[in-house]
Amino acid sequence: MNSSNEVINVAFIGNPNCGKTSLFNDYTGAKLKVANWPGVTVEKKEGSYKFRDKEYKLVDLPGIYSLTSYTMEEKLSRQYILEDEVDVIIDVADASSLERNLYLTLQLIELGKPVVLALNMMDIVEERGMEIDIHRLPEMLGIPVIPVSARKKTGLEVLMHAVAHHKNKNSLEKLEHHHDENGNTKHKHNHHYECVMVYSDEIEDMIDVVTERLQVKYPEMDNYRWHAIKMLEMDDEITEKYPIGLADIVSRSYELDIINQKYDFIEEVIQECLVNKDKKAHVTDKIDSLFTNRILGLPIFLAIMALVFFLTFTIGDSLKGIFEIFLKWFSGSTREFLGSVGTNEVLTSLVVDGIIAGVGGILTFLPNIFILFLALAFLEDSGYMSRVAYVMDSIMGKLGLSGRAFIPMMLGFGCSVPAIMASRSLEDPKDRMKTILVTPFMSCSAKLPIYVIFSQMFFPKYALLVTYSMYLIGLFVAVMVALILNTFDKKKNIHSLLIELPEYKAPNARSIAIYVWGKVKDYLTKAGTTIFFASIIIWVILNFGAHGMVTDMSESFGASIGKALSPIFAPAGLNQWKIVVALIAGIAAKEIVVSSMGILYGIGNINSVAGMAGMSAGLAATGFGALNAYSLMVFCLLYIPCAATIATIKRETHSWKWTIFAVCFQLGVAYFVSTLIYQVGRLFM
Amino acid sequence: MANTLLLMEVQMNLSKGLIGHTYVVEDIQLESSIMRRLQMLGLTQGTAVELLNKKRNGALIFKVRGTRFAIGKDVADGILIGGGVDEQ
Repeated sequence: MNSSNEVINVAFIGNPNCGKTSLFNDYTGAKLKVANWPGVTVEKKEGSYKFRDKEYKLVDLPGIYSLTSYTMEEKLSRQYILEDEVDVIIDVADASSLERNLYLTLQLIELGKPVVLALNMMDIVEERGMEIDIHRLPEMLGIPVIPVSARKKTGLEVLMHAVAHHKNKNSLEKLEHHHDENGNTKHKHNHHYECVMVYSDEIEDMIDVVTERLQVKYPEMDNYRWHAIKMLEMDDEITEKYPIGLADIVSRSYELDIINQKYDFIEEVIQECLVNKDKKAHVTDKIDSLFTNRILGLPIFLAIMALVFFLTFTIGDSLKGIFEIFLKWFSGSTREFLGSVGTNEVLTSLVVDGIIAGVGGILTFLPNIFILFLALAFLEDSGYMSRVAYVMDSIMGKLGLSGRAFIPMMLGFGCSVPAIMASRSLEDPKDRMKTILVTPFMSCSAKLPIYVIFSQMFFPKYALLVTYSMYLIGLFVAVMVALILNTFDKKKNIHSLLIELPEYKAPNARSIAIYVWGKVKDYLTKAGTTIFFASIIIWVILNFGAHGMVTDMSESFGASIGKALSPIFAPAGLNQWKIVVALIAGIAAKEIVVSSMGILYGIGNINSVAGMAGMSAGLAATGFGALNAYSLMVFCLLYIPCAATIATIKRETHSWKWTIFAVCFQLGVAYFVSTLIYQVGRLFM
Repeated sequence: MANTLLLMEVQMNLSKGLIGHTYVVEDIQLESSIMRRLQMLGLTQGTAVELLNKKRNGALIFKVRGTRFAIGKDVADGILIGGGVDEQ
């Protein structure tokens, strides 16, 4: 065998918040492939790593607490480990809360594949004055245990070394541990040399019987013991897949007994291996006494959000200048270059007025979007995000939702697509539907350019305030919709909050960088694809009419469409054909509202002082004032979500009916609210 | 004195507990899906839980086996605890 070509397949698995993804990122860097697991919208991350002539293919499985078949993530992880070509499992455990993390470890060991335990956050354990007996722990668990720190990048090579060594060896020598013997058993259950977790005699007796029956009926089966345990737990998936009559011996589910006995064993392990329990008062408790304070918790949360948006606008705007100068130079020199090589005018116009105006205008918002995602990543990685669920629980409770539903809503400030996917953490299907319906009302980052442009054009002195008001209106509408739905909801179900509050930690710069880079890349990709093509289409329909290319845009196809629809928008003060065209184009992606405005008004860089002056002059000439602009912003905030969001709603709800309902509902709400604002506003202006 | 002793022995739900005190879980009476999840997280009969924080609406934060969890009132009401454990 040629060892230099050897590829070892490694699966990373662990509890949520154990630092598994940070550790995974340490190995792969930003060069990871993100896809979805077949058939489900759960992220699948893959990467590779080379160490000492060996190649490791790494897969990051979703963060889970146990290996049952209750959630999609758990089922998926279990199936992947059992069926796919996983050579070694790296079980990442948070050493600072070893007791709970070991539960998954015991379940993984039972699966029968080689497991290596990576004890993460060893630096934190030391800081806290805890000590873990690294020699005793592998003896008791029968698997190699490697201390690592994803944050400080220590132990990484040793871990992979252990993986390579452990690949073909299934077990170290196991130690005997105590278990209740009732004496009334067929034989002494002395399995300790074969398996780590030995149950009480009552359960071991039944495992024996079930194993025998499985051996008869399924002679090809791997790991009878694990399947037998799952039978005793009355696991849905396994009992369905391997129907054997057990009614005579298994009268009830032994799941709780099995859980209890696993935890009993874990307590034994902790007793022996955790030498010093933490002495120092937890920093987390001190921070929490403030952040989850029953009076201060909510104001602190609101202040943090205000700070996030303030930074998004101020820092984002100051970085924008650099982009603007570059874009102006690029646009000018492209026109010059195209002219000098004798390119015909139509093509020059397409490139400069269509593509550069559309795509380039959008790129200038990159700094704002970068800061917003940076802030959201910071809140999530530091551990604050789950506190928000607790802080918001009472308010969300009044809306008939659990505090947990607020997390997807908050992620909606970034982008509706991951936000709607995050609603999966809600168990109740009705809660999910409700959350999916209101999440697009949360103003996403793609709508930001619209506010920035229009608030600066029409409310130069109060631009920041006007933009803030959009976020508040979005939040208000989402809350009102949820409240109304709850009032009409006859069968009130309990909305149970259950969420782990991880220890606060200094956010990992690397994880944040990888996350934010992913979002920036998405934005750039969108600018290069969706917005690129939309810009070309918009340019075409605006420059061609029934009689070929037109010199006056108002004779174009686009104008005809816009003019036909604009009377409908009159009550909302949006009866301008150019705006109607921009709004329709915006269904592809919200940034396109702005990029097509640039094309419609023939402005090279819409996000510049000169560009805005040009456009507001054009708009003012048609009687489009501040109130119309505000109505337009509100309409953009609330109307049909972008194509990607619509696709996500369909994927997550598995229902076209619900998706179409959501789209029509949002359009209706947008029309109603902007008309209301325009009509009420007119009374005072 | 006899009265307080009696109270200590009576079961109560976790939402009635006092912040900063540690209690022993005696029973969990909840819908099976959420009960199973709690048990897998290590909240089993006989484990000690420390109540860390509580809100007016009944949501609370507790610590079990070294991990903090936030739960809503309806979940807290289903967790039955015995009298306070002496803290040392």
